[in-house]
Amino acid sequence: MGRLFVTHLEGQIYTCKHCRTHLALYEDIVSKAFHSRHGRAYLFSKVVNVTTGENEDRQMATGMHTVADIFCVGCGSIVGWKYETAHEKSQKYKEGKSVIERYKVSGPDGNNNNNYWVGNEAHVGGSDADDA
Amino acid sequence: MGGVEDEAPALKRMKLSSKGLVGLSNGSSGEPVGGSSSDLMARPLSSEGDGEVIGSKGVIKREEFVRIITKALYSLGYKKSGVRLEEESGIPLHSSVVNLFMQQILDGHWDESIVTLNKIGLADENVVQAASFLILEQKFFELLDGEKVMDALKTLRTEITPLCSDSSRIRELSSRMLSPCGQVGSSKRDIVLVRSRSKLLEELQKLLPPTVLIPEKRLEHLVEQALVLQREACLFHNSLDKEMSLYSDHHCGKTQIPSRTSQILEAHDDEVWYVQFSHNGKYLASASNDRSAIIWEVDMNGELSIKHKLSGHQKSVSSVSWSPNDQELLTCGVEEAVRRWDVSTGTCLQVYEKNGPGLISCAWFPSGKYILSGLSDKSICMWDLDGKEVESWKGQRTLKISDLEITGDGEHMLSICKDNAILYFNKETGDERYIDEDQTITSFSLSKDSRLLLVNLLNQEIHLWNIEGDPKLVGKYRSHKRTRFVIRSCLGGLKQSFIASGSEDSQVYIWHRSSGDLVEALPGHSGAVNCVSWNPANPHMLASASDDRTIRIWGLKRLNVKYPNVRTNGVHYCNGGELR
Repeated sequence: MGRLFVTHLEGQIYTCKHCRTHLALYEDIVSKAFHSRHGRAYLFSKVVNVTTGENEDRQMATGMHTVADIFCVGCGSIVGWKYETAHEKSQKYKEGKSVIERYKVSGPDGNNNNNYWVGNEAHVGGSDADDA
Repeated sequence: MGGVEDEAPALKRMKLSSKGLVGLSNGSSGEPVGGSSSDLMARPLSSEGDGEVIGSKGVIKREEFVRIITKALYSLGYKKSGVRLEEESGIPLHSSVVNLFMQQILDGHWDESIVTLNKIGLADENVVQAASFLILEQKFFELLDGEKVMDALKTLRTEITPLCSDSSRIRELSSRMLSPCGQVGSSKRDIVLVRSRSKLLEELQKLLPPTVLIPEKRLEHLVEQALVLQREACLFHNSLDKEMSLYSDHHCGKTQIPSRTSQILEAHDDEVWYVQFSHNGKYLASASNDRSAIIWEVDMNGELSIKHKLSGHQKSVSSVSWSPNDQELLTCGVEEAVRRWDVSTGTCLQVYEKNGPGLISCAWFPSGKYILSGLSDKSICMWDLDGKEVESWKGQRTLKISDLEITGDGEHMLSICKDNAILYFNKETGDERYIDEDQTITSFSLSKDSRLLLVNLLNQEIHLWNIEGDPKLVGKYRSHKRTRFVIRSCLGGLKQSFIASGSEDSQVYIWHRSSGDLVEALPGHSGAVNCVSWNPANPHMLASASDDRTIRIWGLKRLNVKYPNVRTNGVHYCNGGELR
């Protein structure tokens, strides 16, 4: 469907495990100490090539947050969530930042870094129909 | 001044002083000059209910209003009516002093006219000086023309030189003395003099304040201004100005906006990503994920049919670009090659490609002799038509998915150089300017006159920039949907008064450019609308390209339009306004 608009990142990147769409940079990790039902998750200051779902209030280990699921633009798979509002003062630093679940992405740590160091030659298919 | 007031006895009239009545004319329009009966006309007493202002808002001064009407009557050649209005209203077009001044100019009484000019009571001494200079210059020329060279020299030395600070002008006048014009027959000379004196009055009119001499065509100017303001305030104005009337306030209905599907073009086998009308509006080119492009021809009735299907690309065709003369077309495959096609025959004339990087965008140089393309290695390349690389600009000049435009004068290139900035690059001098956005830019397009830049953003906004001089954000448009795809917008309609955009919710959105108001959201497509193009030659024709594999042609809503409801040559005709 349509000609996908994708931002191409350069450096040590995290990509969608299903379609290889660029999602985030290693240097934009704020914290690796996050967890989801499926295991480890990383908090990023900036993510790209995602669409945002509906806002909903969720009770998390650190209190009530207004969050929205984020989906890969390439294949539509859910990759994590975005913090819209943190209801407790101590958690305000999360607002506007996004969490990506580690098992949903391929990326630098735990693998051979060279595989994920991408320069100009990075390429994403023109249509998501090709990548699904 | 109704009939009752005209019947009022003479005792109720009072003599009108010429003081404070400042005249208004230029003598060239045939109104009476000098000794006009209007100087002696009486003005009704204020007790007779003749207010100083008229109109419901209380902003129009009666005296100014009447004078402007009088001036218009004289300008239109209705001399008797002008005189009658002056008499009946008691408001003269200009004062006795101005009358006298104008008559002196027309009679060539130069010295007296300068004395009278000083009696008019102009506040700005510079204006008096400039007007005096014009009068004395005329005197000088007429003395020369009458072969009174010594008198002309005296005027130049003793009268003009003290007034004029422009020494080059003095030298110019002096040189006229050395090469005076040839003899002119006396009767013919009189005509020339009269004409040049009228011309002098016109020049003086430009110089003197409008309270002294009403500018020519002032009423026409005010009415035009009102019509233009009404037109600009009209959300739906998309018809020729000659259809505007003075009889009522101007309002166009939505009927002027192309909002009815007049045709569905169904010749592509996959999503249609790009459409663009040719500059002359006679063709439409479309590009598709099916690796082909199609040239459609617009006939005299505004119906489109396939002219050529262009095959040869190995990858999806992402964009097209018409040559300045519309005789050739460029098509760009996604990170592949650019192909140049002959529009009349449909043959491929040239393939442009490079080893390694793929080509991602294409544009014509305004001369039609070169083509430009953005490359996936972020450089921009320029080729001659035969495929020889002429020039290359390396570095971060473009992005992976990027548009490329060049201004009409051929001086500047525009390209997305980083996520949220467009590079405005002078290819001759190398000067670089940036048009910075807060959000990621997904696509952009340049207006026909290269003044306006339309920028589509990741956050579902479209921004309009004026890029004359320092780039300035002049409009924001929102309502359309964009979450995943490259969605394109365009300027169009009469005087490019509208902005149209595709949308992921399968609708075409149309906004009024200057107000930013959403005018229409057009349903009809069954997939995301990727691109729109407004026909430059027909403000009532719009094309949209969609993921539903079709192109829709939008026209005006008309009743009883009968098209054969058949499919021929990849075209589906729509009957009336039923099929949206």
